[in-house]
Amino acid sequence: MKQGLTIAWLLFLASVPLWLNNLYVLHVLIMAGIFIIAAMSLNLLLGYTGQLSLGHVAFFGIGAYASSLASLGFAVHLLPDWQVSVDPKPVWFSMLCGTLIAGLCGWAIGRLSFKVRGAYFVIVTVSFAEVIRLVALNWVELTQGPMALNNIPYLRLGIPGLFELSFLRKPANYYLVLAVGVICYVVIRRLVHSRAGRAMIALRENEPLAASVGVDVTRYLVLATIVSAGMAGAAGALYAHYVRIVDPDVFLFIYTVTMVIMVVTGGKGTLAGPIVGGAIFGLLPETLRALEAPPEVQWVTYGVLMVLVVYFLPDGIVPALRNWWHGRSAVAAAPAPEQASTEAAR
Amino acid sequence: MMSRTFKTALAVLGATLLAATASAQDTIKIGVTQPLTGAFAASGTYVMQGAKIAEEQINKAGGVLGKKIQLIVEDNKSNPTEAVSTAEKLIVREKVPVMLGAWSSTLTLAVMPKLEEYKVPMLVETSSSGKITTSGNPYVFRISPTSEMEARAFTPLVKSLGIKKADFLATNNDFGLGASKEFSEMLKRENVQIGTMEVMDPKATDFSAQLAKIKASGSDTLFVTTAVEQITLILKQAKDQQVTARIITTGGSNSPDQLIQQAGDAANGSSHLVFFTPWFPEAVKNPDIARTFVALWNEKKHHVGGLTEGFRGWDGIYTIVEGIKAAGKAEPEAIQKALWGVKVKGINGDIAFIKQGPAGRESAQNVPSVYLVKIDSGKVIRQ
Amino acid sequence: MRGKIPNMDQLLQHILNALILGGTYALLGIGLTLIFGIMRVVNFAHGELYAFGAYMMYLWVMVLGANFYLALPLAVLLGVMLGAAMELVLLRRLRGADIDTTMLVMIGAWITLQNVEQMTWSGVAKSINTPFPSSPLVLGSVSLSWNRLFVFVVALALIGATYAVINRTKLGKAMRATFQDRDTAALMGVDINWIHTATFALGSGLAAAAGALLGPVFVVVPTMGDLASLKAFAIVILGGLGSIPGATIGGFILAFMEELGAGYVSSGYRDAMGFLLIIVILLVKPTGLFAQKERIG
Repeated sequence: MKQGLTIAWLLFLASVPLWLNNLYVLHVLIMAGIFIIAAMSLNLLLGYTGQLSLGHVAFFGIGAYASSLASLGFAVHLLPDWQVSVDPKPVWFSMLCGTLIAGLCGWAIGRLSFKVRGAYFVIVTVSFAEVIRLVALNWVELTQGPMALNNIPYLRLGIPGLFELSFLRKPANYYLVLAVGVICYVVIRRLVHSRAGRAMIALRENEPLAASVGVDVTRYLVLATIVSAGMAGAAGALYAHYVRIVDPDVFLFIYTVTMVIMVVTGGKGTLAGPIVGGAIFGLLPETLRALEAPPEVQWVTYGVLMVLVVYFLPDGIVPALRNWWHGRSAVAAAPAPEQASTEAAR
Repeated sequence: MMSRTFKTALAVLGATLLAATASAQDTIKIGVTQPLTGAFAASGTYVMQGAKIAEEQINKAGGVLGKKIQLIVEDNKSNPTEAVSTAEKLIVREKVPVMLGAWSSTLTLAVMPKLEEYKVPMLVETSSSGKITTSGNPYVFRISPTSEMEARAFTPLVKSLGIKKADFLATNNDFGLGASKEFSEMLKRENVQIGTMEVMDPKATDFSAQLAKIKASGSDTLFVTTAVEQITLILKQAKDQQVTARIITTGGSNSPDQLIQQAGDAANGSSHLVFFTPWFPEAVKNPDIARTFVALWNEKKHHVGGLTEGFRGWDGIYTIVEGIKAAGKAEPEAIQKALWGVKVKGINGDIAFIKQGPAGRESAQNVPSVYLVKIDSGKVIRQ
Repeated sequence: MRGKIPNMDQLLQHILNALILGGTYALLGIGLTLIFGIMRVVNFAHGELYAFGAYMMYLWVMVLGANFYLALPLAVLLGVMLGAAMELVLLRRLRGADIDTTMLVMIGAWITLQNVEQMTWSGVAKSINTPFPSSPLVLGSVSLSWNRLFVFVVALALIGATYAVINRTKLGKAMRATFQDRDTAALMGVDINWIHTATFALGSGLAAAAGALLGPVFVVVPTMGDLASLKAFAIVILGGLGSIPGATIGGFILAFMEELGAGYVSSGYRDAMGFLLIIVILLVKPTGLFAQKERIG
């Protein structure tokens, strides 16, 4: 039943470009999809290990920059007489590089940041993202600084001479984002249902207790960060080759906040949460536009909703809906003593 | 409840789409992408106001091809990625056949691939980077001068101003770095020594560290390239730190009136390269048009400091409308072809396009007039 | 080839600039560290109070034409009132919630305030006129504007006043007691609700004062609070979360690092100094330089 529902949803999503002949709406859906992937990756850290990382946009941006730079090629002087140059690489390979480099940065930053917890952890993650933004802004030789990386090539897949798929147009990009999104979903699902996933959830619930029964705390936190950073990097790579321009503002704190709002509203620590939250906040700006609200209204709405969700839906929409559903079926059948927080663990 | 919200959203969406198609029939849309918020907000707003005045005048005179024109203005937030998304919105959603934009060079360069992708021409009203017209994008029509043109126009003044050693302070983007490069190369050819070349973030507000360095270099002239907000702060802070070098600003987004108003005494003695001289309209090629524009601007009670920026919007829209008229229809490719042949009497001077860039894929460049003015005892004088 | 003397002058000028900047940085840091130390709230909206102070200054001086010296205390007072209101409306009901929850609420407040500012005042930068003479104060080979000197003096006075409030008044005593042990303080008859409101109002007032002082020196834009928030974090981490002397010294250290970094390394990395500092401090000595207690977790 549940499987069937998932497949029906997927079929519906896959059919969208076939009947929707409004390119602009498709563009909005693609952008929302990219942010949903990023939010899903943040959920792994925020929802499953319970670490509020507010530097997540760093991995998204690193993925975008690494992938763009690999596909464009670059030459930098690391020392006055030592130059490193990289020729342009195919886009699929670049995107893979972006994912891996973001994962690697996740490992490095995770190793360093998990020395501290709580407020310190939050601030150190914010600082990492900000330092990386300033590097992107000032290392002009590599990143073009505020001039942005321009004319980033789009993805082409195929066998030379036989056939080629080009991801220039919107429907193709829509399917690409959908495919990557499904892959990320499956990976996260398998991970949280594995031994490692149970260890992570144990950490979230009670770190000292988990450590005392032999869970290697740092190891699992770093593992989660690597996977999470790699996925955020993949989302960044998708973004770079779809929008085809990347500037240091991809590292702005506000994008991390957007991802956090998506996860918290949808329901952290649930598989569907970031998707529901991402869909709401990905499409909300366009709905507000249609109502002819000025752009600031969008952010004010974000801010107010964030506060309201914390007060009235602290677990997020998905657990609330699930409780409501179980509450209803409980009346008809046997009571279902399910807790939102343990739901994902099973 | 849920479904009603959904229905309302759908209805709104549908209504917007209907409204969009309905209005498409009786007006000709012109897309405008300008920085209305962010680091270049003031300048972008002035250009937009100038463009709106032109829109009103043209519609009062009967529009073009029997239809009224309608500007669709999008805010690119002084950010290149946002600029791309405004172009996407204007072209894909609003279906504009031609655009005006995008103020800074970085913003314009960001938009350019979209012009090629959708084959829509854009009139570039402010940007100065050479790259814009040399990279082989045939949809670019620029009426503002390149940094190289500005530097060339400045050459005879090097001797008369007695410049021996010069420093540079420029915003860290295509606009600032391009100007620093062209001017320093020109000065080297004129045997002027180059001191320190400093950069600043487009959003920075404290330049005390850079100015301390510039003061220590002991040059007689400091070339500053950025927008008016930062120039104001630089003038004030240079005075605070007793930087004695003569300050010359390039790029034409320096609005001497606003500097006098906001920097006060600190503005005295600074010189500015501008492309329109509202203080003495008789100096420009078409003084009648210049006077009309100044009168309309003041009638609207727009900021007097915005005239040197706002004229770009006027010149841009008049050139675009001339292109639409010559094309005979509001279609991107026809307008792109027709713009090559237009001759417009503008505020800056007579506008017409020459070819620049790789053969077969040339971009269009106008050869505008450049003026150097000086602020003296709170007044703008000719130099 | 530059002579030795101009280089010395440049260094002196950098030191002077850093001293002046350090005063306002310390104000920002003290406000944030007070709020964290006593309330355990990471106040992401701190920079918005800074921007609010600057905009109130603009409102009084440029829109309503009030006297500059009168406008300053008014702007600070309004900051205090906004802070108190935020505590009462947003934070009071979250008493006892974990640190992540209050952080999310403060992020929400930050986004809301910033965009309301943007809607109210538009994105165009505003400048504020000052009554100070436009020629600078010259001290030998270095110089500074009267405006910056004024900012420095007022900032020092406010820092001194804050110390006096904390160390010499009954309210300060109650605050210190709450900082050390909230439950015991409550048992001893300290009205914790009142202490929290007062702390948040005081911290917000200090941030608004920093904004009201620096607004006329630079320009006022809606996004000015972002960098202020992040710098305040750097200062507080440097000094140790909850330490007021730490925040004071941290403010000056950050100002020196930025100014010297921009002068001798690269002006582009000026704003990166603070964050590099955070990362290094947290890796080497996570409690900061002056923290009184171990506060991790």
